Amino acid sequence: MATNEDQNASDLDLVQRIKRGDDPAFKEMVDRYNARIYSLSYGVLRNSEDAEEATQDAFLTLYRKIGTFDESKKFFSWFYRVALNAAYSRARRRKPGVTISLDDYVPRFRDDGHAASPEFAAFVDGAEDEAIARDLAERAAGFIAELPDAYRDAIWMVDVEEMKPADVAETLDISIAALKSRLHRARLFVRQRLLEVATVPQSGAAERRVAP
Amino acid sequence: MKHDEITCKRLILESLVEYEDGSMPEPDRQALEQHLSHCPPCIVFLKGYRATGRTLKMLKPREIPKNLAEAVMRFVRERCNKKE
Repeated sequence: MATNEDQNASDLDLVQRIKRGDDPAFKEMVDRYNARIYSLSYGVLRNSEDAEEATQDAFLTLYRKIGTFDESKKFFSWFYRVALNAAYSRARRRKPGVTISLDDYVPRFRDDGHAASPEFAAFVDGAEDEAIARDLAERAAGFIAELPDAYRDAIWMVDVEEMKPADVAETLDISIAALKSRLHRARLFVRQRLLEVATVPQSGAAERRVAP
Repeated sequence: MKHDEITCKRLILESLVEYEDGSMPEPDRQALEQHLSHCPPCIVFLKGYRATGRTLKMLKPREIPKNLAEAVMRFVRERCNKKE
């Protein structure tokens, strides 16, 4: 399996050939990155048609702006930023953003810093059932979409795309500590939202409807 | 970090990422696990946190559109007058 360094050296070779006008090198770049860029775009847009169009935009920008890429940097970081910009540009055209407060979803503790037992129910049982887990995943996608962009990028790239935190931090141009902080806040938010939808029993819902 | 300094709040809000990604120093990890060993709420929380992670892994698009690479090449060619 290629290391990050091998991958970057191979990317740089393609970049230099593209800068010289080598069209087969551009096609090779498209073959190498189209699935990853699509997946990254999908995380922002959650719609296959929009993600496909954002992928096309990203490669068009790559083709036109490759001359501005600083070869002392990692290519994928530059290109992922290009792709995120393309996806967010399309997302902004589609709908206005909704602002949420992450602080509302941080767990509460007693004054002595310990947890009150009933606070931390788990949805683990559901997550271990394939069909329920798929449903929860769809809901999680919706919750991620509610996050501010900076938090959404962090959780999508680390937890969904399973990129290395160091690579994500470099792509987002932030420290690893800052990335971990965003990642954790995003996870706490998604966990809490999943908990809310996964622990409402059907009978309980019915009872609440008839309760005074 | 000493065991007697660990509270649920500190474990959950400050330490969990390093614990989960394996970057926590060994003495801190031991202290955290000591807390976990006698704190059912934190164990339940950790299970939910990990279940969240497993759930998120399922979100990666399972299918890439057919002929995406060809569509990208066609799109770029049309806008840059590139030759086949």
